[in-house]
Amino acid sequence: MVKSTAKDAQDLIRTLWSAYSATPTNLKIIDHYVVFAVFTALIQVVYMALVGTFPFNSFLSGVLSCVGTAVLAVCLRIQVNKENKEFKDIAPERAFADFVLCNVVLHLVIMNFLG
Amino acid sequence: MAKLIIFLFLTLIPILCNSFTPDKPSDRRILVLLDDFAIKSSHSLYFKSLQSRGFDLDFKLADDPKIALQRYGQYLYDALVLFSPTIERFGGSIDAAAILAFVDSGHDLIVAAGSNASDLIREIATECGVDFDEDYGAVVVDHAGYAVSATEGDHTLIASDDFIKSDVILGSKKIEAPVLFQGIAHSLNPSNSLVLKVLSASPTAFSANPKSKLTSPPSLLGSSISLVSVIQARNNARILISGSLSMFSNRFFNSGVQKAGSPTKHDKSGNEQFLTEVSKWVFHERGHLKAVNVQHHKVGETNEPSIYRINDDLEYSVEIYEWSGTTWEPYVADDVQVQFYMMSPYVLKTLSNDNKGRYFTSFKVPDVYGVFQFKVEYDRLGYTSLSLAKQIPVRPFKHNEYERFIPAAYPYYGAAFSMMAGFFVFSAVHLYNK
Repeated sequence: MVKSTAKDAQDLIRTLWSAYSATPTNLKIIDHYVVFAVFTALIQVVYMALVGTFPFNSFLSGVLSCVGTAVLAVCLRIQVNKENKEFKDIAPERAFADFVLCNVVLHLVIMNFLG
Repeated sequence: MAKLIIFLFLTLIPILCNSFTPDKPSDRRILVLLDDFAIKSSHSLYFKSLQSRGFDLDFKLADDPKIALQRYGQYLYDALVLFSPTIERFGGSIDAAAILAFVDSGHDLIVAAGSNASDLIREIATECGVDFDEDYGAVVVDHAGYAVSATEGDHTLIASDDFIKSDVILGSKKIEAPVLFQGIAHSLNPSNSLVLKVLSASPTAFSANPKSKLTSPPSLLGSSISLVSVIQARNNARILISGSLSMFSNRFFNSGVQKAGSPTKHDKSGNEQFLTEVSKWVFHERGHLKAVNVQHHKVGETNEPSIYRINDDLEYSVEIYEWSGTTWEPYVADDVQVQFYMMSPYVLKTLSNDNKGRYFTSFKVPDVYGVFQFKVEYDRLGYTSLSLAKQIPVRPFKHNEYERFIPAAYPYYGAAFSMMAGFFVFSAVHLYNK
């Protein structure tokens, strides 16, 4: 039983990886960008756990910038993905313009809150 | 002509007023109440020592109906000497309550009792904190510390050298000869911090009636018997209470003394030196301090700010002087402390002095904001108590007084800027990607 579950897990990962390799390159770039943002957020949380919450506003600002960036990137990926039938009518340029605008607002807020 | 006389009179009045003022704390006018005028001549050496130091002594009989301590609300005298142990009722407007009000208003008092002390004198002493022996016939007897005399006495004349250790009260010169004493004993309440035993009896003394046989152990024994005590009240009035009037007399001043059991025979007893020095202390010629000119400012500035900020460096200084009898001399000590106090002292520092009476220190304001006080509480044996308090608020940092970039937050700054850079790079890649 154990051997079969281990083999099942390995098969699962292999299928996942081959399916993922089929995604288009631009979506993969967005995925890398999201991973970068989440990783930076994790580093900040670990640093805060070590040093303490002073100054808390800077910590929140840093984490929020990472999380907000990740969220906006995911939204862009959803809208740009051709296989997504919900957003078929939205041109990818429109999606990108939304993405840029939201990021500008996000970074404005972050700079203000950073202290 | 009349106008000239009035003018001269008005200009001379300030010169004629030279009584006790805070600028010159020594007493000037002393009322001396006596049982009879024989005391004036039999105790003339003591009175002459007072008069030679500039005091105006006013001798009156204790039952003289015209004596008064105050008239129209103003006190006529600066100090009172009661050499009338047998008086039952004072004349004039003086009574126990008037005497205590006199002391409460800051004036000094000397009371001498004796074996014939009346109820009134005992009551005044009790109000001052000193309890005479309740047994009316009891005197101090010491079979091992009596003064050796030619005649075989009943050992009620004793020689005592158990002085309080205080240069302020007794002067810097050591009293070599013992002091002769013949009178009644008193005791002090040990919980009373204002009374001091200046002359104690030796451990072999006790208080009893020498004419009758002792039926039970005496209530006052040994060193707890005080022969001469002083009290310094909280308003710095000083009171001297002695159980013997004869210790002030010329006879005791001039007589030689030899304490039983000691081989040395002194030609002159220590009475004159002892009583002169203690009188100097009682009449504020020694040990009277004043603290003036409290200053505080930030380090580097000279003006006094109305508010400090936390973590400021500040300097505090005060000047303390001691009255020498004629002038204010700088007071030199190394145990004056200042507290920076708000409910409890956040900072307690010993002030350093420049030997000219100026005490100063500097410290950093603590990291707590609120309304603080600079407090100096100085209470030493024999000196007047100093109690200064100056209030000063302390504020926290203003919004723009914090450091601009907090080093602990550099990773967060870095993360935010790296997100911005990443955004730029990503959008470039996303736009120009095939």
